[in-house]
Amino acid sequence: MNIILVLIPVTLLIVIVAIGIFFWAVNHQQFDDLDSPGVLPLMEEDPVRPDVPTPPAPAEESEPH
Amino acid sequence: MSRYDAWAHPRLAAQVLRTRRDGQSEVTVRVGSLQGAQHVLRLEQAIHGLPGVRRVSVDAAAQRVRVVWDSNRTSLPALLKAFASMRCDARPLRSDSAIDARARDAHDMLKRLLVAGMFAMQVMTYAFVIYIGVVDFVDFTTRGLFRWLSMLSTVPVVFYAAHPFTMGAVRELRERRLGINLPVALAVWLVFIASTISTLRGAGEIYFDSVSMFVFLLLAGRYVELRARHRSVSLGDAVIDSTPLLAERRAPDGRLETVPAAELLAGDRVHIAEGSVVPADGVLECDVVDVDESLLTGESLPVTRRRGERLVAGSVLLTGPGQLRVEHFGDDTVVARIGELSTRARQARDAVLPGTDLQLRLFVARVLLLTLATAIGWLLVDPARAFASAVAVLVIACPCAFALTAPAALTRALGVLAQRGVLVTDSAALTRLERVDLAVFDKTGTVTTSQLALADVEVFGDTSPVTRLAEAAALARESSHPVARSIAQASVSHTWLQAHGVLVVPGEGVRGRLDGRDLRLGRVEFALPAGMAFDERVWLADDDGALAAFCLREELRADAARTLDALRQHGITPVLASGDAPTRVAGIAQMLDIVEWHARQKPADKLSRLQQARHDGHVTLAVGDGTNDAPVLAGADVSAAIATGTDLAQAHADLLLLHGRLHGLVEAREISRQIRQVIAQGRRWSLGYNLCAIPFAALGLLPPWLAAIGMSLSSLAVVLNAWRIGREDQQPPVLHA
Repeated sequence: MNIILVLIPVTLLIVIVAIGIFFWAVNHQQFDDLDSPGVLPLMEEDPVRPDVPTPPAPAEESEPH
Repeated sequence: MSRYDAWAHPRLAAQVLRTRRDGQSEVTVRVGSLQGAQHVLRLEQAIHGLPGVRRVSVDAAAQRVRVVWDSNRTSLPALLKAFASMRCDARPLRSDSAIDARARDAHDMLKRLLVAGMFAMQVMTYAFVIYIGVVDFVDFTTRGLFRWLSMLSTVPVVFYAAHPFTMGAVRELRERRLGINLPVALAVWLVFIASTISTLRGAGEIYFDSVSMFVFLLLAGRYVELRARHRSVSLGDAVIDSTPLLAERRAPDGRLETVPAAELLAGDRVHIAEGSVVPADGVLECDVVDVDESLLTGESLPVTRRRGERLVAGSVLLTGPGQLRVEHFGDDTVVARIGELSTRARQARDAVLPGTDLQLRLFVARVLLLTLATAIGWLLVDPARAFASAVAVLVIACPCAFALTAPAALTRALGVLAQRGVLVTDSAALTRLERVDLAVFDKTGTVTTSQLALADVEVFGDTSPVTRLAEAAALARESSHPVARSIAQASVSHTWLQAHGVLVVPGEGVRGRLDGRDLRLGRVEFALPAGMAFDERVWLADDDGALAAFCLREELRADAARTLDALRQHGITPVLASGDAPTRVAGIAQMLDIVEWHARQKPADKLSRLQQARHDGHVTLAVGDGTNDAPVLAGADVSAAIATGTDLAQAHADLLLLHGRLHGLVEAREISRQIRQVIAQGRRWSLGYNLCAIPFAALGLLPPWLAAIGMSLSSLAVVLNAWRIGREDQQPPVLHA
């Protein structure tokens, strides 16, 4: 029966870790849009790149990547 | 230069951009039509692909997209152009749009819900172990350990998850009113403290499982309600965003162009028609105008402003037209004032039905008394069962369902109506609409389209009709009356004539100077005071006599006949009251099967007619176009205005019918009937449920955990029932660009 004394803290630890992960997910907007990810696998074409007519050239050159 | 380049102006950009603490910029834009989830995803990916973009979040219901990005790498106009290249027209919204607060609320509630759920499960496994008595065989210290574990696991539930209820109760106590949070917080804390004492003493009953489940179920109900409310609000926001306050800017060549008021720059010359809202602070450049500044200063009498004096953004021009040179723009206070006008519709949503509050207080008081009575009763009979029974009564009788009914029904109704093109500025009007039995309609621009077709021009003298029409248009352009607008638009001349010293006489016509001649355009008795045979046409005349007569043809709104038929079926008698000539009013009335009609009505006549009807016990509805008949609308129990883009912000009516859809009236009436039904059902439900369950709880036959489940399910039932509003009559939502 002494195994309980080990397992109970382990379950509590799992609960705390799970809550931590969930809080992270909520804070990163993972639960905000529950509709559109459902159709993600149905999209066949590659994502379209928008044509930006005038890219701000000087900023792009100076920016470190 | 594309239309998006204006947003490169730093002061315009300052209105919509927000700089975050990490130096990134943030903007919320209103997007045009989003066709399905695929389009949303593509848009999201495309915007993400731009240099410097950190985060894109799309709220499809509200048609809003929030972008966090580095504005040094991609400029705001470039960002907007990227939206446009995705077949998605974007317009930046003011930086204080409430989308953030809403997301924060939802996140907060979701976290509390999860904490309550996880720990409630833990507590229930411990409780299960204690219930089946496994540990009793071992020894009592293990049993004590499980009780301590239960208590520890309940601590986050009570202190974190139930925190909103506790804070709500404290606030209610401080404001000395009985609200919905008080019984909830009382139940949670009473049970928690009593169980903690039992744990510390090592003897007595513990209810940690009940209290954590109670909090979890209650939060689940609140979360469903919150999501439903946010969705409704989003749908309403989408409609409100689609109708920004517009201004008519005079281009260097004298032509008028329509631009959003937010895009005006200092030095711009703006033309303001009578009845319109002043779109920016500035200096008056015409002789004299009367202004209504009541929205800003509370001064109810019109104020006269002369050339060179300042006009304040947000005030309404009563006589016109006016010409304004913009001085300040992008100023926070000005923007806020303009925003106030267009957010009136938003504020209505937060209002709760009057009367509910008082009933709720009585309800809560009764619940508390009942709990006390149960406790005292059991203390006399069997003190051991007093606590459990009292808690069960407190939980089961908690008027959550009762408190949620009216707000849930109203929020849902306003969301549904907004989606169908009806904005409600006064939510109490929705309940009055249900009792309306007499509807007074204006004719021009209300049952007929505001666009009149020019059927015929008769010219006196040897000038061409095109020239005369151009002269008439120069005057007509300055007025906001539908007839004037139609003449202005009918002009095909390429020469742009500019009239000076224009004065609009409401209900009569327009006068002004053009090339040294005094011209008058309007009714025959206005244009030709010398007297002539009665005539229905619109006349153009100078001091020497008539120049031209214009014959305009009116067309009924496509849904006018259908709307009036439906209203008659709802038991509403339609009445047509117009300032127009009898033959024309009779013609329209006949086409619409309206028995009672009145012609040649001045606003005062219409008003006295309404007052007489109210005196006779009728509940009245007045329908107009909102700008030319504001006093008439104000005199009715419920007012509705057909509003299009420009007029929306200034239409002073309880209901605004967007997109020129008269049929929205019928839908609003139907929804108002459903609201009453849903609220009555909610009341009956919570009353019946309490009557059935309280005796069992008071007799101690209902354990607290079962009471918690029952109460939460009952709240959920009420919220879901409110969600039925607008379901039965399956109407396709109005598509707007």
